[in-house]
Amino acid sequence: MAIDARHVNKTFANYQALRDVSLRVDDGELIALLGPSGSGKTTLLRIIAGLDSPDSNPETDVLVDGDDISRQPISQRKVGFVFQHYALFRHMTVFENVAFGLRVRPRKLRLAEPALRRKVNELLELIQLVRWSSHYPSQLSGGQRQRVALARALAIEPSVLLLDEPFGALDAKVRQELRRWLRTLHSRIPVTSVLVTHDQEEALEVADRIVIMNQGRIEQSGTPDEVFHHPASEFVVTFLGNVNLFHGRVDSGRAVFGDLAVSANGAGHGADGKPARVFVRPHELEIERQPRNGNAVAANVVRIQSAGSIVRVELSRLDSTTDSEDPVSAPINVELTHDQYRALALTTGETVFVKVRDARVFVSPDYQI
Amino acid sequence: MSTAPKYRHTEPPGLQVALILTAVGFVGVLILLPVIAVFTEALRKGLAFYISSITDPLALAALRLTLLTAAITITANLIFGLAASWLIAKFSFPGKNLLLSLIDIPFAVSPVISGLIFILVFGAQGWFGDSLASHNIQIVFATPGVVLATIFVTFPFIARELIPLMQEQGSEEEEAAVLLGANGWQTFWHVTLPNIRWALVYGVILANARAMGEFGAVSVVSGHIRGRTNTLPLHVEILYNEYNFSAAFAVASLLTLLALVTLVAKAALEWKIRVEERPAITAEEA
Repeated sequence: MAIDARHVNKTFANYQALRDVSLRVDDGELIALLGPSGSGKTTLLRIIAGLDSPDSNPETDVLVDGDDISRQPISQRKVGFVFQHYALFRHMTVFENVAFGLRVRPRKLRLAEPALRRKVNELLELIQLVRWSSHYPSQLSGGQRQRVALARALAIEPSVLLLDEPFGALDAKVRQELRRWLRTLHSRIPVTSVLVTHDQEEALEVADRIVIMNQGRIEQSGTPDEVFHHPASEFVVTFLGNVNLFHGRVDSGRAVFGDLAVSANGAGHGADGKPARVFVRPHELEIERQPRNGNAVAANVVRIQSAGSIVRVELSRLDSTTDSEDPVSAPINVELTHDQYRALALTTGETVFVKVRDARVFVSPDYQI
Repeated sequence: MSTAPKYRHTEPPGLQVALILTAVGFVGVLILLPVIAVFTEALRKGLAFYISSITDPLALAALRLTLLTAAITITANLIFGLAASWLIAKFSFPGKNLLLSLIDIPFAVSPVISGLIFILVFGAQGWFGDSLASHNIQIVFATPGVVLATIFVTFPFIARELIPLMQEQGSEEEEAAVLLGANGWQTFWHVTLPNIRWALVYGVILANARAMGEFGAVSVVSGHIRGRTNTLPLHVEILYNEYNFSAAFAVASLLTLLALVTLVAKAALEWKIRVEERPAITAEEA
């Protein structure tokens, strides 16, 4: 069922957590709310769940399946919610945790015991924890607990599934597994889902659409491809993975920084002379032994890290100063394939030339070309 | 000790003995000795005198009043303690810290002063003295006064036991329950209460022990009317002041026995909690 939140504001004692946020999630969609801590993503999720209320404002509406959520008590709205720290009922077994939502139904809607047991067992099979049904949450690992929490939320056949940093407290490997598992689960049971996370990799991997939040506002919303390749703001670029930043100026349609220039097509002549910020991802840089066309910056190889699927090279510009505040002194990070790395035969300490293949240019303030 | 462990992670033997003797000495002099003294003195004039002392109508009346007071006190403080802890731990509101401090007042105020407060408020010359008298209601120097003073003195026990636990547990389980469709009562009964039950029982035991043994506050408001407003501790005092030592100790032993029953209940509870929290079955055997 679709979620439609319009013009949501939320003010806590002394700061504004949400500033006029509008969000629409289509039926069956899995979206990720991505942002740093304090960006308002969890607040927005809790408002959609009904656990927090937005500031009162005649423009504000929070609709689930077209119905205003303020009209119905939370307990009747069938919201599936998964907490970061599981919030399992510690004195109940795994089975009873999953069964809870079915047992507290009003008497006339309650399932008979055999039907209830069948349903809970089906869910336990889904999360592959049938053998653990009589254990208590404290006897399970973090990953298992979170699967129980998910099954418990699914038991009430929720109209929407809200996940608040569900994998945040788990270690990297378990997180990987659960992400994939959640993705498969969602294709089997396509319930409208909102996943809150601060982990960009998780968002890019799991979600149909990513909504990037910062300081109580939505920065950009789009498919993983869109936000990654066509970021709408500097914040989005820097938040979605590693990026090198070069400072330059606009000069006749190009952003010029040091000996390098990249196309800034779209910048009118009026933009000439304005400061430009050029963001280049590590894999969008190339290393050459000889400067061709002169369009390259000379740098020393500082460190090479070749353990992994790609080779990371850290370089320091020759024109860098000892002043660490100077943007020119920031290290340049380049990612190469192992083939490229072997062909170049790089060694630490030697001087090479760095060339920009692709870049995103923002003419201050926050204006993409 | 021929097989001395290779790695010693313990104090030198001399210090061990010294520490143990100090601890045992303290317990012996301050706790064991008085308890033994109570029973020896109580039985000094023989078992028959002992039995007649504790079955004396006045002693029985005091016992009845003590038990009645404890029962009412526990019920009242159970309700209050649960409500206050729920409010303080699960919600935030202006004046929360003030309420927390108010709950602690009975711990900070001397019991005699607590008793005096009730005299000043409900006594004949007190604030409500006239209106109470005109409605023929007697609070001070009657059972209600004794009960009120006891409730006041034992007021913080249950709340203080619950608040830290409930604060530590947070509200997420309750939020989860509500989102799963539980109403307020179901949430309280199936989620909140099971999580705090042992702390609750523990608070009740502590409050009960204090309620039965309270002397200062009750002494001020009771008026020492024999057979009517005397609790067990007050009855002991009267007998003692009348040089009726053996009878005083006999009744005191009754109070001691009640205390011992409470302690046994507490120990049994602690044992039960340990059993319940023992990690039961491991993963693989399932």
